[in-house]
Amino acid sequence: MKKHRTRSTRLRTSRLLAVVLAFGLIVAACASDDDDDAGEAPAATEAMAEESMDESMDDESMDDDMDEAMDEAMDDESMDDSMDDAMMDLSGTKVTVFGPESSEEEAGAMQDALDVFAAATGIEIVYTGARDFSDQINAQAAGGNPPDIAVFPQPGKVGDFAAENWILAVPDEVQAAIGSQWPAGSLDTVTFGGTLYGVPNKTDLKSIVWYNTEIFESGGYSVPESLTELQILTADMLADGVTPWCVGIESGPATGWPFTDWMEDLVLRVQDENVYDQWVAGDLPFADPRIVGTAEFVLELWNLPGAVYAAGGSIAATPFGDNGEPLVAGDCAMHRQASFFAAFLPEGTSVGPGQTIDVFYFPAVAAKGNRPVLTAGTYVSAFRDAPEVWAVMEFFGSAEYANARQAAQAARQGGGQSGFLSANLNQDLSLYNDLERSFVEILQTASPARFDGSDLMPAAVGAGTFWTEGTSAVNGDKTVAEAFAAIDASWPQ
Amino acid sequence: MGALGGALIGVVIAIGASTALFFGANWLFDLAVDRWRTFLATSGALVGALIGAVIAGNDVAGGPLWLWAAVCAVVGAAAGIAASVLGTPSKSSRTRLSERGRLVTFLGPSLLFAALGLVIPLIRSIYLSLLDSRAAEWVGLANYGEILTNPNSLDLSGWTEIFTSRLFYAALVLIAVGLGIGMAVGRRRGRTMEALPGSIGPIAIGLFVLSFAVFTTLRGTVINNLWWVVVVTGLSTALGLAAAVLADGVRGESVAKSLIFLPMAISFVGAGIIWRFMYIARPPQKPQTGFLNAIWVWLGSLRPRTGGAWVAVLILALVTVLLAGLCAFGVKRRQTAFAIGAAVTAVPVLWLIYRFLGPGLGGSVPGPTGEPIAGTILFLQEAPFNNVWLMVVLIWIQTGFAMVILSAAIKAVPSELIEAARVDGATERQTFWNVIIPTIIPTITVVATTLIVLVMKVYDIVKVMTAGNFGTQVIANEMWQKAFTELNFGLGSALAVVLFLAVVPAMAFNIRRTQRADA
Amino acid sequence: MSTATASRPGPASGAIERVDRTGKLIYGFLRRIPTWVLWLMVIVWSIPASSLFLNSFRTRDAQRNSGWWESFNEGGWTLANYSEVLGTEQTGGLARALVNSFAIAIPATVIPVAIAAMAAYAFAWIKFRGREWLFIVFVSLLALPNQVALLPLLQLYAGGAHWTIPGTEFTLTLFPDFDLAGSATAVWLTHTAFALPFAVFLLHNYISSLPGELFEAARIDGADHVTIFWRLVVPLSVPALAAFTIFQFLWTWNDYLVAITMIGSNGEAWPATIRIASLAGEFGLREHVLSAGAFVQAGVPLIVFFALQRFFVRGLLAGSVKS
Repeated sequence: MKKHRTRSTRLRTSRLLAVVLAFGLIVAACASDDDDDAGEAPAATEAMAEESMDESMDDESMDDDMDEAMDEAMDDESMDDSMDDAMMDLSGTKVTVFGPESSEEEAGAMQDALDVFAAATGIEIVYTGARDFSDQINAQAAGGNPPDIAVFPQPGKVGDFAAENWILAVPDEVQAAIGSQWPAGSLDTVTFGGTLYGVPNKTDLKSIVWYNTEIFESGGYSVPESLTELQILTADMLADGVTPWCVGIESGPATGWPFTDWMEDLVLRVQDENVYDQWVAGDLPFADPRIVGTAEFVLELWNLPGAVYAAGGSIAATPFGDNGEPLVAGDCAMHRQASFFAAFLPEGTSVGPGQTIDVFYFPAVAAKGNRPVLTAGTYVSAFRDAPEVWAVMEFFGSAEYANARQAAQAARQGGGQSGFLSANLNQDLSLYNDLERSFVEILQTASPARFDGSDLMPAAVGAGTFWTEGTSAVNGDKTVAEAFAAIDASWPQ
Repeated sequence: MGALGGALIGVVIAIGASTALFFGANWLFDLAVDRWRTFLATSGALVGALIGAVIAGNDVAGGPLWLWAAVCAVVGAAAGIAASVLGTPSKSSRTRLSERGRLVTFLGPSLLFAALGLVIPLIRSIYLSLLDSRAAEWVGLANYGEILTNPNSLDLSGWTEIFTSRLFYAALVLIAVGLGIGMAVGRRRGRTMEALPGSIGPIAIGLFVLSFAVFTTLRGTVINNLWWVVVVTGLSTALGLAAAVLADGVRGESVAKSLIFLPMAISFVGAGIIWRFMYIARPPQKPQTGFLNAIWVWLGSLRPRTGGAWVAVLILALVTVLLAGLCAFGVKRRQTAFAIGAAVTAVPVLWLIYRFLGPGLGGSVPGPTGEPIAGTILFLQEAPFNNVWLMVVLIWIQTGFAMVILSAAIKAVPSELIEAARVDGATERQTFWNVIIPTIIPTITVVATTLIVLVMKVYDIVKVMTAGNFGTQVIANEMWQKAFTELNFGLGSALAVVLFLAVVPAMAFNIRRTQRADA
Repeated sequence: MSTATASRPGPASGAIERVDRTGKLIYGFLRRIPTWVLWLMVIVWSIPASSLFLNSFRTRDAQRNSGWWESFNEGGWTLANYSEVLGTEQTGGLARALVNSFAIAIPATVIPVAIAAMAAYAFAWIKFRGREWLFIVFVSLLALPNQVALLPLLQLYAGGAHWTIPGTEFTLTLFPDFDLAGSATAVWLTHTAFALPFAVFLLHNYISSLPGELFEAARIDGADHVTIFWRLVVPLSVPALAAFTIFQFLWTWNDYLVAITMIGSNGEAWPATIRIASLAGEFGLREHVLSAGAFVQAGVPLIVFFALQRFFVRGLLAGSVKS
């Protein structure tokens, strides 16, 4: 009886095994089918092995040897060795783009714009936007699974990636094609050691103040023309019992960045662009009295009793986007925030000259006679050396992209602000609405224009201690001197 | 659709291959006992096929993979048959071989996955932690030194403040009360100390409060982690056990358990949003949209000696009378635990009455004109108790975890045991403490150990809610920021190793204890 | 108590009965305290999630300007949050993302449960040298922060593992490049590795407490380990297996970090967690739709919980032991 049972169990086991083995064989057959699909000639096993060796070597050394990569690209297409053919016909290839813009409107508009190019060339272009792009692109690059093209919000990171040889220099042809389309200096931000590593994608204007026109009208206030006038305006409003400012620096894992923006705007104004450049480059420490003084200037303004309305109870607790509603409701008169802030205003708010909410340029020091502007934006860089990738890169730098994206994003936002600005010189400005066209004008008349400093600093500071220690200072947990000493200590050697 | 197909094919392949491997290996080791020659031939063929695949895969020589595998398999099988001619080992050694083989079959897959997914990364982290930020140069223990010397990770400078902390003295009083009760009852029964709810309870609560006093005066990332471990592990396990016990056999058990379990089903992203809504504060002149601040401000609006406050005092007075009655009932029935419980519960109620009569309770601050206006709590910004509000989120989530596992354990207590205890005249409470709790102690250890580890590794709540600002940083989030945001692999790995080393002793101790309990 | 009263005759019995009736009332009240505490706890536990549930049907401005408890007065109702989550067009939409979630969560649950049960059985009931020691080392891996394993595993999936033999030009492939990075397979393989220490820990605790005499008897009957495992251990461990299955499914279904690291920019393979979280946009502009997303995401785990809850019934174990 016992024996019989074990025997039958064994029989059943072996039958099961046979089934599974048969299944395994089928699967193996399928798997080899897949290999064929990958585009390798089935007979040339040696070549296949050789190529996989090459690939693994590429992974390690990542040298941008153009010829070798071109060969590889042509192997992929299984075409003959004619270079022209490879440049002409890119249909059937695929390019992946990865970036931080992930909402239905932004990511959708990005995809719409890329689809225009895809339809023209036959390249399949897929844009994917993830909210924690900044951390993920680090992981993907370090882990060897990068996209073809990434959209970097921080030029400093483009520099880091270039130093690691993770991204590729923009080839001369592409550079020649786009170079003349952008304002002088806007490519310098992503040029490292004389080599260009990125192509501009989108621009944000940061030196603007959103204000409630009804408060200005009823209080008889006028738009300030200089920093001193802005201070006087603040004092006047305080005396009248009007809360002048809305401020909020909470932004999830990036909490603190609105404070860094205020700092940068004021360093540019109260000091000058040379001090700014030295500070951003790390040549001037945060502990320098000029930088500490600027921070104290900002905090003094914010800490004036009654000067700031914080929708979340305190400045550090208020998400910057939550200031849209109180600005419209008249809880405060002004909010200094970048051009994309329009989207955070309550639905149905009329924005623009003469409307409920308007915008003025964050004024400069009158005596200096300049018009400094703080900007930000995203740049695209390539991880894979292939003609289709460079074709897409070139498209990013073109006016066609700016126009297509502008039209698509405005349509997706359903009128009003599109939230997209481009600094491309050849773009069609008639696609913009009035307010956003005025932003482009501020950008174009800027002297000097400087890129957001925290995005240029090393990540440990610009996306690290500048935010966290700055937040401590704003929250009153530390003095400015203590916080800035900690930032200096964290600057990578 | 293609990707779906691909994913499902992958699943089927994996499950099929695992099953094949499992039963195939067992079949093979059956052969070792009964049919030695077939066993040798089969295993020779398998080893041969593997070698062939490796040769072809590494391009040692040309030729397709299947050919190499097949040829080598035939060679291997032949070698196996040849070896069997040399003789057959004794039955006992064959049996031992078969047993060993089975052991490998049972343990192998787990060990393989653990080695690839955990052990190798651990070794790599230890190595990286000795290198600089870009993993280029050897820096020795410098990264560890930086962790220990950074005031953000460990700041003991405020330790003298513990003597000015009210929590500290409250804790001392509680512990003294517990010891006093224990000793008083113990003397009556001829022992120095008596462990009973009336003595253990105050001591446990006292120690808990004492930890709060310590953790609010000593600050830093490391201290925060310890604080998290004490509070979340303790409360989640206790509340989970309470929920499991209270719900056991009650009408609506599955509804109650599902609702307590619900937070586990909500993703961390969702949990972050939920608790933002709970904690949010708005300026005094606006209606509060955060639930907790709304309650707080409403309490604050009940000014002393106004109608609302009198109503509150009246209700509280009724509660006090009720508690006094319960206390008297307990004394009469010689139910000391009830009496003490009622008396202890009365203390905060009396305190509330005092607040409503005297200084007032809730969020209220003098406004610019002197009139009181709403005062809110910035739950996430006001250090050091913002840490506790973050812990509440994890307790809310993990109580469901503790409840499910402990509930399964309680259900598994053999009903014969419980019935036997009832037959012996044990009350419900005695059955619980003397039968159920001892039986599920190993499971409580498992739950507590798991929670300790989980809490030590917590990072997403902190990342989502405060990003480590306002003195709420924990090691795992710091590690994430260093390694992934700043690409400082040296420091990030060192933090990971510190985290690992901090947890291992507690784990090993608990596991040893459960093992000894089994033996 | 009632017997004591009845056995005490006398003129005072009426008064005593009255006192005793009051006592019984109080006693009945006390006996029901545990149930009341339970339901109080349930209410406290439900408030946060129900607040999100109400707010998920409200507009962004309504969510920000009035508390959820005022939603019946203030209004601001909308289904737009749900339609935005359900109607997302990016990378195949939500349906595709949910399918991906299943393709990750099912194998990431089934496979660890199976192999961890085997390992737990081996650690509990197969005697071998160094068993205790190996068990402690294995389970101690639970303490490893999973983040440190993400990059090495991604590198393994993306390029395989290769080793150039020192002093030669020859590179040996230790782990072939299956091109797993960016696929659901990479995600569940990773989940499997991460889940094992906890799974073995939990299941070992249960399996080792099963009555050993049962296995002894089976061994004397000539059953081998496979038979014992399959015929005795697995059926007897159903509650523990169900408990682990619930948690593993939840964790893998709601996982964000492992999935996005292993899949990266290949949005077509993204599970629902990433798809939904991304809807919030770069600066959290559309964060209010996440309230709806959280409930869309939580539906499946709740169904799993309800389906498996019936395994937590008293007597299941006892019954199987007897037969």
